[in-house]
Amino acid sequence: MPAVIEANGVRFRYETAWVLDNITFQMQPGDYVGLIGPNGGGKTTLLKVLLGLEKAQGTVRLFGQELDQFKDWYKIGYLAQKSPVAQSRFPISVEEVVFMGLGFERFHNRVTHADLKKVYEVLAKTNTLSYAKRIFHDLSVGQQQRVLLARALVSRPQLLILDEPSAALDAGSREDFFNLLGELNTRYGVTILLITHDTGEVGKYISKFMYVDKELVFYGTKQEFCHSEKMAAKLGAFAQHTIDHLHNNGHCPLGCHCGEAKHD
Amino acid sequence: MISEFLSYGFVQRGLLAGSLAAVICAVLGVFLVLKRLSLIGDGLSHVCLTGVAAALLMGASPVYVSIPVVMASSLGILKLTEKFRIYGDAAIGIISAAGLAVGIFITSLAGGFNTDLFGYLFGSILTVGTDEVILCAVLLAILLFFVIGFYRDLVSASFDAPFAHTRGINVRAVNLTLTLITSAAVVLAFKVVGIFLISALLIIPPVSALMLARTFKQVLYWAAGLALAAVWVGVYLSFVFDIPSGATIILVNLFILACSYAYSRIRNAYAAEK
Repeated sequence: MPAVIEANGVRFRYETAWVLDNITFQMQPGDYVGLIGPNGGGKTTLLKVLLGLEKAQGTVRLFGQELDQFKDWYKIGYLAQKSPVAQSRFPISVEEVVFMGLGFERFHNRVTHADLKKVYEVLAKTNTLSYAKRIFHDLSVGQQQRVLLARALVSRPQLLILDEPSAALDAGSREDFFNLLGELNTRYGVTILLITHDTGEVGKYISKFMYVDKELVFYGTKQEFCHSEKMAAKLGAFAQHTIDHLHNNGHCPLGCHCGEAKHD
Repeated sequence: MISEFLSYGFVQRGLLAGSLAAVICAVLGVFLVLKRLSLIGDGLSHVCLTGVAAALLMGASPVYVSIPVVMASSLGILKLTEKFRIYGDAAIGIISAAGLAVGIFITSLAGGFNTDLFGYLFGSILTVGTDEVILCAVLLAILLFFVIGFYRDLVSASFDAPFAHTRGINVRAVNLTLTLITSAAVVLAFKVVGIFLISALLIIPPVSALMLARTFKQVLYWAAGLALAAVWVGVYLSFVFDIPSGATIILVNLFILACSYAYSRIRNAYAAEK
């Protein structure tokens, strides 16, 4: 089975400054990767490059296909950090927004019963069913984010690419949200690449961490992450803060038992 | 009075061309307003001056000369935003200024065109020829084909372009097609309301429609309907009171906008009370 994502020597720059330099990694089916790193480290840019939203040097393959030739977009669900329409008065209902996530044929604008069923299933799953008929821009930012997650999920994707998806959610919604992602990963084998600063909250579900600061500093399991001297030495305060988060007073929520060893 | 008004051939042609141009601009305008590109019509209308001045200098048809000139300029706007990462409004401003400057330069070279140019600047709907009516009909057919066939591409790309890309929609092609059709629409509309007022046809009916409608399809229908009503009422008033047709059409559009705003305020207040 081909890697879900395969990046080789990815380099990208805005004007003169390199934002990404020689990024090479593979994600296998079922991986749940937390992408972390400092602000301005290139995390969001990396996601955009992987989706073809920015043109970069190097090669990217999705499900074994070259990015330029990739056609199976229904296999991918994408949720951006900030919706470009959040402030807009675009006259569109919640169900219509979610409907956009489905594939479609040109000249066939009629909504089928099967499509509607998929839309309402995902609305129920993301707790957005009660405002299905409301206008999208009338919702709060947190509600909009949940609708956009529903849009990302409606095509039943095999790969989810999420850019700080929980930033606009309250604590309760955040927990529901991460539980849902965890279920999608463990029960349905959905591969997830997620930018997050909530290493503690999301850590119990994640299988791997990727640390990007213009270059790929670390990519490995969470157990390797916890033990990584390289991370601690190279990144100092940030790494220590992250590891402290993970260990949560001596008990490692990642289940790697490294916390006890580290704090002994 | 109305039957007498409609019995003139030039009135029939003017009304037909005006109706077609108004519907084209209104439908295009919905997408442009929502993509915050509504001023593209203003910028491209200034480029029309270059096309009209060049055509009058060469003794050619202003419409046929202006269409390629304006289309090339619209591609220039896209190139400036994509390749040179210049903000859309700045790119429109650059092309608009260039179009106006070159147009004035050509006019001064020719020693001025007097009444010919005046008619294009302020519109002369009642001088529209049969070929221009046919061109408007062809453009409306192209636009309807594009909007019906690629409705979901258009809505997705207007709502959230990065996500549309991840659904396999060629956002660049959608933008390019939209811009090229807008270029042709701007040229065909300058006979109706004049170069200076074209952007009003692209902006005012969609903005009014956005205040009245609740769904995207409703916005398209309302925009087209309101634009059509403004042309008919405007041309009729200009005929009865012998006032400039282009300016009258825009003033009627502004009156509709004011009514739409008042209605939306009352509706929202009533909904809030409930």
